[in-house]
Amino acid sequence: MTSVAATAPAHGAHHAPQSFWRKYIFSTDHKIIGIQFLFVSLFFLLVGGVLAMQMRWALGFPGKPMPGAGLLPETMATNGVILPEYYVQLVSMHGTFMVFFAIMPLLVGVYANFLIPLKIGAHDMAFPRINMASFWTALLAGLLMFTSFFVPEGAIRSGWTNYAPLSARPDLSGVTIGQQLWCISIVVLGLSSVMGSLNYITTIINHRAPGMTWFRMPLSVWALFITAILGVLALPVLQGAAILLLFDQTIGTHFFDPVAGGQALLWQHLFWFFGHPEVYILILPAMGMVSDMIANGSRKPIFGYHSMVFAIIAIGFLGWIVWGHHMFMSGMNPTLGSSFMISTLVIAVPSAVKVFNWLGTMWRGNLRFHVPMLNAVAFVAMFTIGGLSGVFMAATPVDMYIHDTQFIVAHIHYVLFGGSLFALFGAIPYWYPKMFGRMMDERVGKIHFWLTFVFYNLTFFPMHILGMGGQMRRLYDPTQYDFLKPQQPLNQFITISAFLLFASQLLFAVNFLWSLKRGKKAPLNPWEDNGLEWSLPSPAPHGNWDRAPTVYRGPYEFSAPEAGNRDYLPQHEKLPTDREPASATAPAAGH
Amino acid sequence: MPHATATADLMRPPFPAEPGAGVYSSKLGMWVFLASDVMFFTALIGTYIILRFGVTEPWAQPGAVLNVPLTAFNTFLLICSSVSMVKAYAAIADGKKYFLRAVPGKTLRDGGLKFWLLVTMICGAAFVGVQVVEYIKLVGHGFTPTGYREGSLLAEHAAANAVRYGAATGGLYGSTFFSMTGFHGFHVTCGVISMTYLYVTKVLPEKYSAQDYRGIEVIGLYWHFVDLVWIILFTIVYLI
Amino acid sequence: METVAHKRPNYVAIWGYLFVLTVIEVAAALMSHIPKHWLILILLFLAIWKALLVAMYFMHLRFERWRLRVVFMVPLPLAAILVLATITEKIW
Repeated sequence: MTSVAATAPAHGAHHAPQSFWRKYIFSTDHKIIGIQFLFVSLFFLLVGGVLAMQMRWALGFPGKPMPGAGLLPETMATNGVILPEYYVQLVSMHGTFMVFFAIMPLLVGVYANFLIPLKIGAHDMAFPRINMASFWTALLAGLLMFTSFFVPEGAIRSGWTNYAPLSARPDLSGVTIGQQLWCISIVVLGLSSVMGSLNYITTIINHRAPGMTWFRMPLSVWALFITAILGVLALPVLQGAAILLLFDQTIGTHFFDPVAGGQALLWQHLFWFFGHPEVYILILPAMGMVSDMIANGSRKPIFGYHSMVFAIIAIGFLGWIVWGHHMFMSGMNPTLGSSFMISTLVIAVPSAVKVFNWLGTMWRGNLRFHVPMLNAVAFVAMFTIGGLSGVFMAATPVDMYIHDTQFIVAHIHYVLFGGSLFALFGAIPYWYPKMFGRMMDERVGKIHFWLTFVFYNLTFFPMHILGMGGQMRRLYDPTQYDFLKPQQPLNQFITISAFLLFASQLLFAVNFLWSLKRGKKAPLNPWEDNGLEWSLPSPAPHGNWDRAPTVYRGPYEFSAPEAGNRDYLPQHEKLPTDREPASATAPAAGH
Repeated sequence: MPHATATADLMRPPFPAEPGAGVYSSKLGMWVFLASDVMFFTALIGTYIILRFGVTEPWAQPGAVLNVPLTAFNTFLLICSSVSMVKAYAAIADGKKYFLRAVPGKTLRDGGLKFWLLVTMICGAAFVGVQVVEYIKLVGHGFTPTGYREGSLLAEHAAANAVRYGAATGGLYGSTFFSMTGFHGFHVTCGVISMTYLYVTKVLPEKYSAQDYRGIEVIGLYWHFVDLVWIILFTIVYLI
Repeated sequence: METVAHKRPNYVAIWGYLFVLTVIEVAAALMSHIPKHWLILILLFLAIWKALLVAMYFMHLRFERWRLRVVFMVPLPLAAILVLATITEKIW
């Protein structure tokens, strides 16, 4: 490859024209699969949000009829007032949908699929048909979960963590089919996740373009790589546990029932052994994409690229040995608990390294506050708050007081909304041009950002205070306790902020949908970024490149002197001083 | 890969590309899948170990309920199928696409891919068959996933000799036994079905050659893994 | 084409070893006068030996690069950590 100027390399391969079905529905193209995940996951994000709005009504205005409750059957709301049985279903399914069917597929299903081959210079994933299967399996799992609302007794009532023996005993939980659907849906989702993850791992290891060495990969790809390793090893444990739970529910086994020799804590250990790597699956890709966006918005290389990589690896590694911090109050072995306290405190360190590196990247940078940058910077600040509350929780003596209170809920939402979702609000407009060939509206994006940022903090920060005041999780009516009554105004305040937060998302939805057809047509490289994907037309064609590009440098060469009067230097552009990588001409040595 | 500059040897890593795992992608993919399958079996086998360590009452003694000699034979059968699988792999690596071929000077004919893979499939199917028969007999005698069925033969034995039959932990014994061996059997069945599919669509029409037998190597890895898991299972479920 | 050149192992010999080890295992299990703890150790040792034979020779891990061996090795300590940690609930 001897091209120097920023012209588009040869377009995608010349395929016979495909039918609509093969091209857009049953596609094996990683970009289409990513877009399919995007639409489906945004739908489930909406579902999760609607569930949350109902929860907020019950918490803010307990006992009052909810607007729109006339649509709900009598089993869920009588005289418009949400029933306790329905409230716990809302809680359980909000968590389930948000974690499994919104955030995880948005970060991994969308961006691992869309970005990995583009950013490493591959034509597609290693196993395109398995990739297609992973989307359809995920969709099936989501639909199965969704139908649990419409079966007799409705959806699960035992929290998104579905602890046994409550979840194993329909006579205790009041839910039979809904529980089975949850277990089956999780097993199917696990299949999707494993299929996807093994694709991402194989593709990143084996299909990097010549010159794309490990330490020239963008941090978004590194993060997705480690995330995939976490996923491929953690999801099967959850699948096993869910199957055993299903057996307890259906054929009368007692794996988790202490009455007959089973162990209730066994479920918790199995679940959280999966569950903790899962939360790192939910944050690492966000961190990776934020790194890309901040470097771009600062027009500076990422500060401490290598330490960023090692921090991602450290988080991935340590994430396996901290799971017990979700169980400090379960009655688990206290010595074991202490070991988890220590490992949990340690895992704060690599995350902190990343925060400092993001700040170092921005320091004295030529800052461009485009919409992705705004959201990425908000990520850093909000994730830090979430991380700090995590340190409180890591200390077992403190956790004894705040476990299962709204303090935990605040932490969860600071890292998942303040973290993952803000990263997505940045990533979606950032890669939108490469997906759809158009730009999202910048002005609407900025208004959406500011409204979201303000209302988000007004909604979730006070939850720290509520939690320290003793308000428990999954609580139908806080005012039933005298000691919580003084905090009720805060609950109302949060509810109103939450409604305004939800309403603000309308701007994002309209921006997203409207721009599909009416957005400004996107140039090749609207953000003046260095990644390989920006060398392709917008939207990127099937097969990506005719011939794999050659990579000459890392992804963050912003404001490099060699670039002349430009402040960015794409990875694939060859300067007269660059040498060809060895792998461009010879097969890998040592065979 | 349809677009990449074609390599002469499909069993090498993709080219042009940075050095990766050093093996072609389907092989790497299968190894990653096997790593995830280890974690799946960890959940099931781990549950068994954890629950068994956790009970205070005695567990059933080996051989009391389960038929150890029959299962030992079954284990031998699966090991044989693993050997025939690797012989199939070696055969196609040498380009032997045929079924059997006479070799001058030797009484036994030389087996090719078609022969050895068929042996593997038959042994695998036989393993599943024996397991199914064993299951039927066990359930008939009263050993179920929820323990000793009331009024059954085994329930009587358990009442007479609580220690030998682990009467108090019969429920967990049954649950863990059937979940572990059941899912293992499911894995074997999937393997046999996949092999049958490959046999019919690729092996019989002689689509594999010494230059490209990736499918055989990949299914072989899966098959050996399934054997490996059984080696562990046989020991900790039947013998301990 | 092998990815790393090596002499092909004698599969029939490995099969022989596996057969012998299985016989020893079953015999040991049926010999009820061995104390339980020793028996468990012996049986586990034999099982792991057989598993290693299959992994090393039939799955060719003996002749593959470390990069590939690592893929299979990574889940093993994780499995051990999960099981050992959870066992401490009841026996510590």
